[in-house]
Amino acid sequence: MLRGTKSGLEFVFASEAGEAELSDLVARLAERPDFYRGSRATAIFHGAPLEETGFGGFLATVREHGIELDGIYGAAEVEALAQRHALPYLGEPPRPVVTALGQRRPRRVVASLTDRARSLDADFAGAREDIARRRARGEPSVAKPDFSKPATPRAVPPAAVAAVPAAPAGPATLYHRGTLRGGQILQQIGNIVVVGDVNPGAELVASGDILVFGALRGTAHAGAQGDAGARVAALELAPTQLRIAAYIAADDARRKPREPEVAFVRDERIAIAPHGRAGLR
Amino acid sequence: MAGRRIVITSGKGGVGKTTTTANLGAALAKRGRKVVLVDTDIGLRNLDLVLGVEKRIVFDLVEVVEGRCEVRQALIRDKRFPSLHLLPAAQTRDKTAVSEAQMDALIGELAEGADFVLIDCPAGIEHGFRNALAGAREGIVVTTPEVSAIRDADRVVGKLKERALPHSLIVNRIRPEMVASGEMMSVDDVREVLRTDVLGIIPDDEEVIDTTNRGEPLVLDPNQRLAPIYLKIARRLEGEKIPLTRLESPTLLTKLFSMWKAG
Amino acid sequence: MQAIEPVPTAQLEAPLEQPAPPLGRAIVITSGKGGVGKTTTTANVGAALAALGKRVALVDADVGLRNLDIVLGLESRVKFHVLDVIENKASLDDALVRDKNLDTLYLLAAAQTREKEDVETGAMVALIEQLRARFDFVLIDCPAGIEMGFRNAVAGADHAIVVCTPEVSAVRDADRVVGLLPNGWKPELIVNRLRPVLVRKGKMLSVEDVDAILRLPLLGVIPDEPGIIIATNKGRPIALDAHSPVGAAYRQIAARLNGENVPAPTVKVAEPGFLAKVGALFGGR
Repeated sequence: MLRGTKSGLEFVFASEAGEAELSDLVARLAERPDFYRGSRATAIFHGAPLEETGFGGFLATVREHGIELDGIYGAAEVEALAQRHALPYLGEPPRPVVTALGQRRPRRVVASLTDRARSLDADFAGAREDIARRRARGEPSVAKPDFSKPATPRAVPPAAVAAVPAAPAGPATLYHRGTLRGGQILQQIGNIVVVGDVNPGAELVASGDILVFGALRGTAHAGAQGDAGARVAALELAPTQLRIAAYIAADDARRKPREPEVAFVRDERIAIAPHGRAGLR
Repeated sequence: MAGRRIVITSGKGGVGKTTTTANLGAALAKRGRKVVLVDTDIGLRNLDLVLGVEKRIVFDLVEVVEGRCEVRQALIRDKRFPSLHLLPAAQTRDKTAVSEAQMDALIGELAEGADFVLIDCPAGIEHGFRNALAGAREGIVVTTPEVSAIRDADRVVGKLKERALPHSLIVNRIRPEMVASGEMMSVDDVREVLRTDVLGIIPDDEEVIDTTNRGEPLVLDPNQRLAPIYLKIARRLEGEKIPLTRLESPTLLTKLFSMWKAG
Repeated sequence: MQAIEPVPTAQLEAPLEQPAPPLGRAIVITSGKGGVGKTTTTANVGAALAALGKRVALVDADVGLRNLDIVLGLESRVKFHVLDVIENKASLDDALVRDKNLDTLYLLAAAQTREKEDVETGAMVALIEQLRARFDFVLIDCPAGIEMGFRNAVAGADHAIVVCTPEVSAVRDADRVVGLLPNGWKPELIVNRLRPVLVRKGKMLSVEDVDAILRLPLLGVIPDEPGIIIATNKGRPIALDAHSPVGAAYRQIAARLNGENVPAPTVKVAEPGFLAKVGALFGGR
């Protein structure tokens, strides 16, 4: 089993460590090959460790996906295995803590919150930190758009047609002509191109890039599934809020841009440059 | 001890609910109370604009209720008043996204950690209005001294009484000179129709539009004419017995007197 | 064998049925934000149209919070309301109240002690259809918000007038509403309560600021005046006041709606640069 904790990833092998568990793990990593790149992990063997070849294969897979193993937990016999592969032996497996049992955060009405949650020490950066932590745990950084249903039905009489088209499945570029009004939202796995304005109160959420051939005054979230290389460009970039992957930025000074600009992530922050410069072609 | 849960409502739109929520909340926070403002106008949110925090919204009330984030992640702390927080409404959803029971539970949680939870109610008496009332344990009805507003306020007072919610009245945008010349109803006229205790009287002020456009609550600036008025209302809300300021125009006698004094 | 009987030509050419008379226009007056002047606008534009001789029906769709009757000074004359007609407790004739001043202006009041959810959308559409058959203009006063009341008010209409004051919140709410109107509609804008002195001082949005976001054809601009409050409290539409600039603005709007060639208020764009041109190309619905 693969789970995320405050300190990083954990590869947990139950008492009867076997090929099945290993191949499950390999398949899980292969689903999103780059998602865990750069993460640190530990391996926990609750029972007998893998055979030599199995373990070698495990190490190879883990490294292939860019994950660094910080050490191994397990019974005494695991120590030898760890030494053979030049990995720190961290001792007996830690007692499982209830909150770390790898459950997805259940959807629930706000009836019982932890003390931390109830505290009113809210802050803007805290939200980002939470998004990053959820990503490390393997949960989407932003609630993924639901593509099983068409875009939210508008409150219009039956004779009228929905204002925005349903998003097709699979990566594609969504092209929308016309102005997006406050309260309207476009979601797409892929890129979004809007020819028209995006008014304050409107939202664009794309796993890829966002391009607005008009004034972007609403909220745009590019790279919504974690791609920090995604970009947002507009003829007039004056958004209420910009998000790229897990980065969020708002410009408190009221900008009045005079030329087309593009926003991208650089040095852990969202930067803006005139389009065509900064080697962004 | 859990905080007080107050809904700011009116029935008629545009009489000053949101401006009152923002400024009353700021006034209470200025006095050191822990205040949470809740915008329940899902789909037509404005409290964030009036407070000037619209660019800092990451999560909203609907996402909290759906369990997609924690309350603390959605709350926005006002940089100017550290004990003032806002829970913003969602803009791309509609009011049916939240039920009365969910709203009640949410406001209850917020009240655990605050002295005051002020609930900004949407205009009208539909689903959004009922949601806003669901979480409240008392109400403040805002009205202007104008026939349509009073009629709507009356309907709302009836609904508050149905739910046995104690309530008081704020008369907003009064123009003393028009009251004096008989062109506008007086506070007493209003009180007679609505039969409700008056919590505050706020004169019309052309600065209001500009401050709400800029997202800077009046209470921030002690030079603003309305700032001390909101502070007095905050004190009254906490139980202090402060007499209502008579806002009528000076009588002929006092006018003459001040002219004489000015020489 | 039967003989072929020739049919006289006159009979062949006579039309079999009379063509139906053209339906009146059904226009919903909406805004999103409350308190910007929808009801006042409905009453005054209606009064001004009636003063031009048009047959006008005003429908108050704000169930539970009715106000159109007050603005017209007809509250004591209302016997039946929209729900009574829909539920067949009264005929349309019983419910329509004729205006005190203009004999081609009628009011269909909202129910005060009911809820908006009591009105079924289909019934509302049918009712507006009936009114369109009898009137040149049916103006529907929409409630604030975007809930069921709004949806019912829009359901029977074929055109919308969006009323907006020069304030950021009002513009945001108006924008939201425009996005919820049916595709293909081209709503028109009325900017209400403009105070040019405050605009010049930079303490109020200008018409251009509002237009920059909403991008709707401008039907009229109405200045702010204390006279409006007095008129409302007296129940006499200010559109009938020959001396009031507010009244004049409403009369111009009515003339425009009536198809007269009144010069439309233009929106001056300060710097018609690249962005303004592009925005104009792609802006609008």
